[in-house]
Amino acid sequence: MQLRINQTTYEVDAEADTPLLWVIRDDLGMTGTKYGCGLAQCGACSVLVDGNVVRACVTPVAGVVGREITTIEAIETDEVGKRVVAAWVENQVAQCGYCQSGQVMAATALLKHTPKPSDEQIAAAMVNLCRCGTYNAIHTAVHALAAQAPKQEGA
Amino acid sequence: MTRSSTAKTLGVLAVPCLVAAGLLAWYVTREPASALADSPAAAADPALIQRGEYVARLSDCVACHSVPEGAPFAGGLKMATPLGAIYATNITPDPSTGIGAYSLADFDRAVRHGVAPGGRRLYPAMPYPSYAKLSDDDVRALYAFFNKGVRPVAQANTPGEIPWPLNLRWPIALWNGVFTDAGPYAAKADQDPQWNRGAYLVQGPGHCGSCHTPRGLAFNEKALNEHSEAFVAGALLDGWYAPSLRNDPNTGLGRWSEADIAGFLKTGRNQHAVVYGSMTEAYNNSTQFMSDEDLAAIARYLKSLPGDPKRDGPAWQYQAVSAATRLEAPGAHTYVTLCASCHGLEGRGQAEWMPPLAGATSALAKETASAINITLNGSQRVVTAGVPDAYRMPAFREHLSDREIAEVLSFVRSTWGNHGAAVQAKEVAKLREHTGPASASPIILQMR
Ligand code: FES
Ligand code: FES
Repeated sequence: MQLRINQTTYEVDAEADTPLLWVIRDDLGMTGTKYGCGLAQCGACSVLVDGNVVRACVTPVAGVVGREITTIEAIETDEVGKRVVAAWVENQVAQCGYCQSGQVMAATALLKHTPKPSDEQIAAAMVNLCRCGTYNAIHTAVHALAAQAPKQEGA
Repeated sequence: MTRSSTAKTLGVLAVPCLVAAGLLAWYVTREPASALADSPAAAADPALIQRGEYVARLSDCVACHSVPEGAPFAGGLKMATPLGAIYATNITPDPSTGIGAYSLADFDRAVRHGVAPGGRRLYPAMPYPSYAKLSDDDVRALYAFFNKGVRPVAQANTPGEIPWPLNLRWPIALWNGVFTDAGPYAAKADQDPQWNRGAYLVQGPGHCGSCHTPRGLAFNEKALNEHSEAFVAGALLDGWYAPSLRNDPNTGLGRWSEADIAGFLKTGRNQHAVVYGSMTEAYNNSTQFMSDEDLAAIARYLKSLPGDPKRDGPAWQYQAVSAATRLEAPGAHTYVTLCASCHGLEGRGQAEWMPPLAGATSALAKETASAINITLNGSQRVVTAGVPDAYRMPAFREHLSDREIAEVLSFVRSTWGNHGAAVQAKEVAKLREHTGPASASPIILQMR
């Protein structure tokens, strides 16, 4: 089957029910997307599919054929993603960093759909786990991004 | 009345009483006649043994008579009953601890009549009210398999824990007299062979009604065949709601095609649902091994059973809404953050891998047990052809409080057109106490 990942088309040989995460990491060698729990509970494996955040460990690969997948490797080619990464650096969010590619995905998806999210929307979207407890820094970065949302995208 | 005439009267009365008592004693301990009494002993015919192995698959003998770490069919599974625990027995051909000394007629009496040699009645945890319908040929094949196809294992049975006098077995004979039908399945002349094969499999070896038919006050299945509307109409059992297998659009198979049913039993999943709860075991050990013809026959028969709109309520209709737009509703936040990755913001799941919650039986049945149980305890691995599936429902018992589970389930049961009743925190608390998390490791019971 063919997958569109980061604007490149890949030919992959996988069973229909293989989790997208296995294909991305093991078959295609893009290891920026992390494996945490495999049970949709931590968010370390988050990627974008058509601009929505999904957990790749619980996404059967057959379901994303023909759709546009974005991983952390290419997130800075996206205008919003680029701003999110900049805010992450600005606020020095990462500690060990393991969860952060997923956190960046979650924040990017949120801000793409809702440039000026409410506190409630942020709380509902930023639910990935962080073993290092960087939640305060994540919170600061997302609120800073929400505050500087460009006018033309305004909510 | 004088003393002597009183004595005389009592004496006269005593005679019929004694006769009645004698008859009762005979009735409750007698060995019923076996239709196979005169058949020759099993030959080691490989084709017959193989046939018997298939009948054992159809009947899912392994589900109770084996435990994951034990030798096949050596028994030991603990089964809780309202009166105390009992343990499944050793049915390997070991002559002293198993059934190696059974004649074909002894075996037949145990399987189809629930009577062990010597007249001891089996507990109806052994589904002999269903197995009564097995054909003579299938019983003969089963006997050959258990004699020649199963390795003998010397393992003593564990005594049951039901206290005296409740552990007396003879009253079961009276129960049998009232609640079981005698005789193997008789084909209906007005139905074709496929329908009859399906009826045979569902009522007999498949013993679907053991879980799916509601039980009466004496724990009897309310019906053993399609003559009653109670047959496989859905029942609460062991902390799960075994749904209706009739044509009920909400709690049954009304929205499923025959191909959907056969596919579900073959692969454990389809676009409507994935096996979970006790059905995972029935799938892992039994239904996936059934032939395509047999599965088609089962589907055909089940689709012939009418639903009951009075019991089932108005038919579900999908109403599209994203949970993310209803964040103010109690439980919605939990749904969006913990459930939506697999089941979708719109409740539609992902193809046949992650089941939809929109229109799910667990979200439409008035019984809340299955929804609560699967959320607390997660699902067991679905193992198809030896390969565990990639996805399973995690257990949330450590993660969510009774109230949070009640709220998220109430949200699910009232969104996307679902109209199951709200879930109360105290229902969650009760099931939490009586259940434990499903094992994350694949459990496969071997038959050889
Ligand atoms: S690895 Fe996918 S959510 Fe944890
Ligand atoms: S930064 Fe270490 S897990 Fe989040």
